[in-house]
Amino acid sequence: MLLFRSEEHIERWSRARELPRGATLTPEQGWRLAHGWYRNKTRADWRRHTLEETEALLAEVGLTGPFWNLRDG
Amino acid sequence: MTDAGSFDLEALAREVRIHLFREAAETGRVPQPPEIAAELHRPEEAVVAAVKQLAAAKVLILAPNDGTIWAANPFCAVPSGFRVVADAKTYWGICIWDALGIPAALGKDAVISAPCGDCGEPLRLEVRQGSLRRSEGVIHFAVPAHHWWDNIAFT
Repeated sequence: MLLFRSEEHIERWSRARELPRGATLTPEQGWRLAHGWYRNKTRADWRRHTLEETEALLAEVGLTGPFWNLRDG
Repeated sequence: MTDAGSFDLEALAREVRIHLFREAAETGRVPQPPEIAAELHRPEEAVVAAVKQLAAAKVLILAPNDGTIWAANPFCAVPSGFRVVADAKTYWGICIWDALGIPAALGKDAVISAPCGDCGEPLRLEVRQGSLRRSEGVIHFAVPAHHWWDNIAFT
């Protein structure tokens, strides 16, 4: 996932690569997602998030809908 | 080691994980299997097997061709466009999510520099006392969540 100057830059990047537009987050949402995902990663007792925990994190950050669905393609 | 020719891969993978992430957090450098083996006084081939297991479990990512550790996420083993400075040390992320993940994993303040994915203009974010205090730009995920691990280098 990349950071862009603005929505217009995302449009231009997607068009140039003939890719469908994905989903956008504010940097604040990105921080909350990264914090929830990585805050324990260097701890000895770290364990991978379960599917349910990951879904809860996405929802907590406001990332809902088909794009964020982890269960089926 | 359980005997001369075998070892407890699960236990070694845990030991390697703990060492690898501590080292990356403390120094900004992601150690590779030969260094890890030397530090832990373990046979290199056993460490390589442990690293492969950690990659299979998606704890870290191997470089596509040579089997070296590309990233012990959020820490990238090689310099990238996503630069993070924390505690006077430089770290690298493979993407903006991981760049933000570095201060989260460290529990430290950080300044993140990342290029606009389109024009390359440098953008800056700052984490202070557990909050994002300065930011600019918009984060874009090109690939739906269910397919992130199809090609983790492109999400």
